[in-house]
Amino acid sequence: MTSMISPLDRRRHLTGMAFITPTMLVIIAILVYPILQSIVLSFGQSSIDGSEPYQFVGLKHYAALAGNDRFWNALWVTLLFTGLSIPLELAMGIGLAVLMNEHFRFKGIARLAVLFPWALPTALNTLMWRWMYNTDYGLFNAAALQSGLVDRPINWLGDETLAMMSMVIVAVWKTSSFMALIILAGLQSIPRELYEAGRMDGMTRWQEFREITLPLLKGPILVALIVRSMDALRTFELPFNLTDGGPVTATESLSLYAYKVIFDFIEFNYGAAIVVVQFLVIFAMSLLYILTLRNKD
Amino acid sequence: MTEVKLDRIGKSYGSVEAVQQFDLTIREGEFLVLLGPSGCGKSTTLRMIAGLESITKGDLLIGGARMNDVDPKDRGVAMVFQNYALYPHKTVFDNMAMALKLQKVPAAEIAQRVGHTAELLGLTDYLQRKPAALSGGQRQRVAIGRAIVRTPKVFLFDEPLSNLDAKLRVKMRMELQELHGRLNATSVYVTHDQVEAMTLADRIVIMNGGVVAQVGTPREVYDHPADEFVAGFIGSPAMNFVDLSRDDTGGWRSDCGSLALPSLPMDTGPRRRIRLGVRPEHIEVLPGATGADGMTYTANVLLDELLGADALLSLGIGDVRLLARVGGVDHPVRGDTVTIRLNPAQLHAFDLETTEALR
Amino acid sequence: MKKRPRFGLYALVILSVVISFLPIVWLVLTSLKTTEGIYAWPPQYLPDPFTLKNYINIFTNSPELLLYVLNSFIVALGCTVVALSFGGMAGYALSRLGMRRAGVLMVFILAVSMFPPVSLLPSLFQTFLKLGLLNTYAGLIIAHTGLFLPFTVWMLASYFATLPPEIEEAARMDGMGFFRIFWSIVIPLSWPGFVATGLIVFIFSWNEFPLALVLMTQNAMRTAPVGISLYPGEYAFPWETISTATVIAIVPVLIITAIFQKQIVGGLTAGTGK
Repeated sequence: MTSMISPLDRRRHLTGMAFITPTMLVIIAILVYPILQSIVLSFGQSSIDGSEPYQFVGLKHYAALAGNDRFWNALWVTLLFTGLSIPLELAMGIGLAVLMNEHFRFKGIARLAVLFPWALPTALNTLMWRWMYNTDYGLFNAAALQSGLVDRPINWLGDETLAMMSMVIVAVWKTSSFMALIILAGLQSIPRELYEAGRMDGMTRWQEFREITLPLLKGPILVALIVRSMDALRTFELPFNLTDGGPVTATESLSLYAYKVIFDFIEFNYGAAIVVVQFLVIFAMSLLYILTLRNKD
Repeated sequence: MTEVKLDRIGKSYGSVEAVQQFDLTIREGEFLVLLGPSGCGKSTTLRMIAGLESITKGDLLIGGARMNDVDPKDRGVAMVFQNYALYPHKTVFDNMAMALKLQKVPAAEIAQRVGHTAELLGLTDYLQRKPAALSGGQRQRVAIGRAIVRTPKVFLFDEPLSNLDAKLRVKMRMELQELHGRLNATSVYVTHDQVEAMTLADRIVIMNGGVVAQVGTPREVYDHPADEFVAGFIGSPAMNFVDLSRDDTGGWRSDCGSLALPSLPMDTGPRRRIRLGVRPEHIEVLPGATGADGMTYTANVLLDELLGADALLSLGIGDVRLLARVGGVDHPVRGDTVTIRLNPAQLHAFDLETTEALR
Repeated sequence: MKKRPRFGLYALVILSVVISFLPIVWLVLTSLKTTEGIYAWPPQYLPDPFTLKNYINIFTNSPELLLYVLNSFIVALGCTVVALSFGGMAGYALSRLGMRRAGVLMVFILAVSMFPPVSLLPSLFQTFLKLGLLNTYAGLIIAHTGLFLPFTVWMLASYFATLPPEIEEAARMDGMGFFRIFWSIVIPLSWPGFVATGLIVFIFSWNEFPLALVLMTQNAMRTAPVGISLYPGEYAFPWETISTATVIAIVPVLIITAIFQKQIVGGLTAGTGK
């Protein structure tokens, strides 16, 4: 037998429900319902404006995806981009964090400078870089040609390998600061006494880094890595603005391809299937993220 | 009549029972202290009286009216919190006036009542300050003033002094005593500090694991602890415990026989083993070895600690270790051999199974 | 402390700052050049002649670029206000009102925040089309609110958790109801949390691209990142106009970041650095 809920508790619970309802409604309307509807759409045939009635077609779109080279290419590009940019961001992030943990003059300005790339819209950042990468009038080629390093302009965004590298560089430039911030916060939360105890034990600087800093930074680094990986896996405006996925499809990410299928080729349901696959990939990552956070406690 | 009656009150969170069967009537004007280690349920009990926690079992009556489902503000109680809980963005005046404002008391009356209380507590000069600009003691006074202004039927205190430093705590403790003498309102006071409990309380309720272990005046709980827990909790340093077995002659001895008592004054019934309790201040220490007879034993001083007025001696009688409290002047030191005498009237004995005191 | 040679340190710092600023500086320089200067060979590093013509042109010939900035402002401000209101209440419910399964709800909110925006597009586009929400401020504001509410709830819930609960309990004893406690005690005490969260949400919304691209199809309703990215050129991108518009569009974010650097950094790293 359970005792009656006290009116005192009931009032609190009702207030809680009232307070959380607007948020849950928005989250369900904007995040949960659309995902579910995308799944429904991916199993059927319909038109974007709802003029044709929905027809269930089963796994037809998924079967088509399995044989679609461009889809596999987009998945590969997304994974490659993630795999290349994340380690570089991490390395840069650790470096910047260690740098910013030192004492020097004009530190505020320096910290602001590395924060700016993160704070600006990716789409516009990408435009700035595209302008610098410009084959004929860009800063890089101008400097390279004038200094005599090369005798012909480099086609930064027109070559398959170079285009991917160029894209990775923009991503690293933009997000290293985010990594650095999180790692810096981790660095500053390590108690000084640990280093003092380490010095009493006769540790060298390198040993301090390996035995104290790195183990205690594992948590923040892991969180930063996973947050950034998920960002990288859904990258959209970066290839959209830098290369439009080109040359051919060398930098076409899954998000970009899905967008093109839906809004350029108007294959609504097929696009929904791509989107669902992408969702599953990222959701697997997010589960990993949550498990990691759970284990931290 | 503002008597507070807790009629078999209980609080459970799911299957965890934080407070069980709390049954007590707090008399009009009584200063009742709830004492116990952290997690014993004393704060939960206080919060149930306040209305900050719901009551899952039993009834709470304040002045004869059932209050279980009544909102905190309508119970006629006021509470003083451990960390003062002042509104940091409001002035001292506004902090003290808040409850009255919410009760729609006329502004003139609010000003008059707050002013009067401020005078009582010596806060008149600080009414326009914010809490951040006050010292710890002043903040605590504002927190008390906020409670007084409402002229509640019952005052509740949740460890109000434990955020203060030692010196200030003694001073505020005395102020509280004086204040209670003047207002004479029913008060319930939660603390884990036994000195606060002994000095302030008309009656002390000692709690352990969500259950009331003993209710009594400070004298009663010190002289006649109801069980081993209370005996060990009240008194500092804590009571010595030694397990004794009955021997063939009807006397009692410790396991290796080094401490032997011909008889015990309490009714031990058919028990073959009991736990003996001796307070450190009840061990009489005489210099030199005078040999054992009756309740006198020869002991070695293993360690001595001077506290100032008193000294603590760690004594060894064979394999039995006893802590004794003696005067600080010319006290025996490590390596000395001494004679100790136990006064049968000051001994305690407990059942090993139930831990209850034997009378 | 011993003084060590710090040249290496300063060299690294300067290098980091230069790399961080390079694209922005180059963009500003470009916006101050004449069209001939932009496409000149040998390349012009500094504007010669220096001109404000591009800025004047935007105000006279391409007012839609200013409209984009205005749209961004309306959407980001709206999103921030709604997200802080809803998220503040939800965060309070989850951290303080003894919600059952509050932990599960927090994890649920964290999980949905990781949905890729592009996954939402087919359905959101269709629904907004049906409801007539395409090309409306309200539509994009509510979409952005949905996207950034999880972050807001987490930030504010963890901020509320740092407040001593006794103050709210004292307010209960004084006779306040939960709404009143939230309004007159919790919000005044949590404004640093609201400021940090609000700034980051504002930046997030200002910068958001995929939903703004798809849900605002009319040129006049586009936000700055989308409008500038899609700005039509005859042969190639008109870089003199683009660079100028971009400078105008990033200035608000640069100013906010510069002024509130501490709050933003504090907000971003809350909870992850511990």
